[in-house]
Amino acid sequence: MIRLEQVDKRYPNGHLALSGVDLVIRRGEFVFIVGPSGSGKSSLVRLLYREELPTAGDVYIDQFHLTHMRRSQVPRLRRQLGVVFQDVKLLPQRTVGQNVAFAMEVVGASSREIAKRVPQVLELVGLGRRRDSFPHQLSGGEQQRLGIARALVNNPVYLIADEPTGNLDPDTAQDIMQLFLEINRRGATVIMATHARDLVNQVKRRVLAIDHGRIVRDELKGAYHEA
Amino acid sequence: MRPKTLWYFGRETGYGLWRNGWMTLASVSTVAISLFVLAFFIVLSVNLNHIAATLENEVEIRVFIHQKVPRKTELQLLKQARGWPSVRQISFFTKTQAAHQLQSEFPDQKALLQLIDQSNPLFDGYDVYAHHPAQIPAVARRFRRLPVVQSVVYEGLVAKRINRVTEIVRAVGWGIEALLALATLSIISNTIRLAVFARRREIAVMKLVGATDWFIRWPFVLEGTVLGLIGAAAADVAVNYGYRWAIRAAVAAMPFWPVAPLHLVLEHTVGVTVLMGLVIGGIGSLVAVRRFLHV
Repeated sequence: MIRLEQVDKRYPNGHLALSGVDLVIRRGEFVFIVGPSGSGKSSLVRLLYREELPTAGDVYIDQFHLTHMRRSQVPRLRRQLGVVFQDVKLLPQRTVGQNVAFAMEVVGASSREIAKRVPQVLELVGLGRRRDSFPHQLSGGEQQRLGIARALVNNPVYLIADEPTGNLDPDTAQDIMQLFLEINRRGATVIMATHARDLVNQVKRRVLAIDHGRIVRDELKGAYHEA
Repeated sequence: MRPKTLWYFGRETGYGLWRNGWMTLASVSTVAISLFVLAFFIVLSVNLNHIAATLENEVEIRVFIHQKVPRKTELQLLKQARGWPSVRQISFFTKTQAAHQLQSEFPDQKALLQLIDQSNPLFDGYDVYAHHPAQIPAVARRFRRLPVVQSVVYEGLVAKRINRVTEIVRAVGWGIEALLALATLSIISNTIRLAVFARRREIAVMKLVGATDWFIRWPFVLEGTVLGLIGAAAADVAVNYGYRWAIRAAVAAMPFWPVAPLHLVLEHTVGVTVLMGLVIGGIGSLVAVRRFLHV
């Protein structure tokens, strides 16, 4: 379970990105975080994988208290999470397969596990035949899928995605969306910050709307805008 | 640590060293030069110690008698000096015996030995041992006051002075080395910083997918220590060949000079240079990685 209590986030330049955020996300949920640019979506997401710390309030994920945890515990938290970044963060000198395997090497997986798991995940995201390509040889949608494959490869409990369909054409965005739904059906909790109004309206899942750093709406089967 | 992880660290280390190319070479040379200077001072102090030790093993006081003094007087003085409270042992030698000793010590110096054979310029004299090193100056003075005594030499004094010089050389050596070590540290640290900077994206991704700090640090720390070790090895090779050359030159120029043997010198230099290389390399890279780990 993810729980935020009275969370404020103020950046060193004085900008207040989040204010008094209270939030609970249970395991197995599919949650959209929507709102205009600069509303605080990305700040909220970054708090979850502890790239940022709140200025005030508490963030809990399962047994981890993110605001009061030791640095040495952070890797254990992040191994529970799969993160798809807004800018994907692929490693350009490594192949598709190596980009995914890398995430497993880093957490100490054996060669045998890696050899077994990487093709499975690439198959799941539809990159089974692109294993030996390099990221620059992939389309935008394929790069995004690769980012998702890397986030999934260690079987995360929570999959957190920041604008995963941001630069994609509608058809590709649709495919990616289906992929997230499939991942959610397989048991992972999915939290997705997005601008993609059509996708949100189409799948009828929980919607958290943020504006000026505050949660202004939380609907279980919501739409991008209030009906 | 699993073999898989070890393999990963080894591969990343080699990759880093190779990719850094010129910086790798620059750091290795800096380490090598710095450690060579350290080794130079060690060699110097080992040699001074060796000289002091050689001198201390020799006769403590050597008294030479004027050439015209009759043998009877010499033996009387011998008997008399045996009764002095500070004298532990005293033995008499003739100038012929002194010549024989020289011949056995320097069999190669044909010209010198020929000269001694023709007209022995050496003196009769005594080898005198005191009970205690502190008594040596007084005993020497007592002999020097006697009219039959031509000169008195005691090497203990020389040895003591050499020991003082050795201490100074060592202190100066370590002082210079401390400065050089700082310079080397910053060069290694910069090399590793470049390596880290080149891979900052990877490091960020590693952190975000749950790599521990040490998992990220190890390849860089290994890279730094490998730089240090290669530098130390280069310095030791230079010492080895340089010292062989120095021994040859010293023996040719000053055959009686007690030069410390190569193995003794290497015994002292290899350990220290390797250790310093490891420490400088390791600390340099830890310093470099620190800043980039806060993701």
